[in-house]
Amino acid sequence: MSEIKSESVSSLIDNYSPSADDNISTHLVDNMLKDESLSSTWQNYHLIGDVLRDEVPQSLQLDLSQTIAEAIAQEATILSPNSSTQAASQALAYNHDSSAGDTFVDKEESIQTSNVVNAIDRFKAKMSNLIKPMGQVAIAASAAALMIVGVQYNVADSSITPSQVVQTVPLSGYANPVSFSVQSPQIEQTYQNQQQTQQAMDEQLAAEKIAQHRRLQSLLQDHKQQIK
Amino acid sequence: MKLLVLILLLLSFNISAVTPETESAKLLLERFSQSLRHLNFTASFVVVKNNQVKPYHWFHGVADNNQELEILTQLNGFRHDILRQGKMVSYIEPEQEPYSMISNDIQGPIPSIFRGDISQLEENYRFISVGRSRILGRVAQLIRIVAKDKYRLSYWLWLDQKTALPLKIAILTRKGSLLEQVQFTHIEMNDELSDNLIQLQSTELPKVISSSNQQNHSNLSWQVDWLPRGFKVLKSNKHNLNTYNRGGDRAVEFMLFSDGLVDISVYVNSSQEKFRDPEYANDGATMVFNHIAQGIEVSVVGDIPLITAKKIAKSIGPAIINNAVSDDLNSVREP
Repeated sequence: MSEIKSESVSSLIDNYSPSADDNISTHLVDNMLKDESLSSTWQNYHLIGDVLRDEVPQSLQLDLSQTIAEAIAQEATILSPNSSTQAASQALAYNHDSSAGDTFVDKEESIQTSNVVNAIDRFKAKMSNLIKPMGQVAIAASAAALMIVGVQYNVADSSITPSQVVQTVPLSGYANPVSFSVQSPQIEQTYQNQQQTQQAMDEQLAAEKIAQHRRLQSLLQDHKQQIK
Repeated sequence: MKLLVLILLLLSFNISAVTPETESAKLLLERFSQSLRHLNFTASFVVVKNNQVKPYHWFHGVADNNQELEILTQLNGFRHDILRQGKMVSYIEPEQEPYSMISNDIQGPIPSIFRGDISQLEENYRFISVGRSRILGRVAQLIRIVAKDKYRLSYWLWLDQKTALPLKIAILTRKGSLLEQVQFTHIEMNDELSDNLIQLQSTELPKVISSSNQQNHSNLSWQVDWLPRGFKVLKSNKHNLNTYNRGGDRAVEFMLFSDGLVDISVYVNSSQEKFRDPEYANDGATMVFNHIAQGIEVSVVGDIPLITAKKIAKSIGPAIINNAVSDDLNSVREP
């Protein structure tokens, strides 16, 4: 059957209708469009014909349509993530296969994702948590350290520290001509000394700064508490 | 006939022009405070300060028994929730067990005076209706609350023309540089109480703790000799400054002043150091100022400009007659 068909395809390509009846050839074309193997045969025969007639272009034009279609199909699956529900169900599905230890972690993760997405649900959960505030106290220990770091950063930006003036002194000493420092090692040594004192000063400054931030932070904290 | 209409039209324009801007601004501010107390709404907003953005969720409603219900929750980072049932206000914060206080308002990013009597601000602030703009997709009326002296910050409010609810709030210096902003991102009016508020209604709030321990004016050995006009003492006591989990609590003498809109805390204690240069930090609009002079450490905290903090800190002096301190503070002097 297919033998006969490919034969008729071949004759069609050669511009020779296998049958005198036009209806039959139209029927054949229709068939060919539907049948994938036949249409690829049609393509191949054309290619062969082109090669025989030496009509092949310098670079073979491969059929891109197929690869593009495939790429799109592939991309489509990546581009349609069903947000949280899918992620959660995936995580849950994964749970069934994995070991017990992993299961716990994954469950936690899936719960987290759904929490982040659904703010209202999360808030409701908070409300019921109100009755048992123990968990919250557990967080608090880590909270304190972080908060201070945050404030240090803020304060450093906006506060005037009188000691910054001191820092510029050794910098101006360093700006001497190069030959000058090569000639006299003594000066280099004093520079080193300067560096050391500078370092010590920096350390002292840092400690002072931290103390300062703590002071200001505790004041701010108390103020906020008092105005309630 | 046409002429008559024209004249009428002109007349009506005239009438609206005659109404002072301050009057319309005040009316809108009064509507604002009414709305904050009586409407059921769900809102989201962000507070922008120190180059950071903090999102909040806010539910407000009035229950059938006329009790106000309110939830204000900070959405990023550690839990900072405020729940309110009428006069019971509960704070849920890191570092502490949840606790409640008896209070009429919640201490959130929106100054509490805006729920109260606006007219008490008139003595020291001007209300200026500036114009309309589009905020949060709505028609907003901009009202500036500008201090009459140079010792305070300015507040700009963008209020929804329909509901008079806030759409944006900005705190600026007198020169117009922005310190802090509250930008609403969503406002929804509800006919009924929202689910969260219904749940709050049946929630048992944590125990009430008393906030003001000692109200002992006479015990204080220092007093503030200068404050901007209109600041009155709200609290004064001695307490230990919570030095943030580092131990070494230090006892301070504490005074809290308010002009209705702004609260200023003043802390005084003696120090081992003789002298320390002034240092300060900003938390948005809040100024934290600290210095030591002649062995006395003075700290001033509040939403005020630096010059005010400096001036207050400088004016600290020994209390002359202990019994007269409170009277002294109530009648505040201008230099």
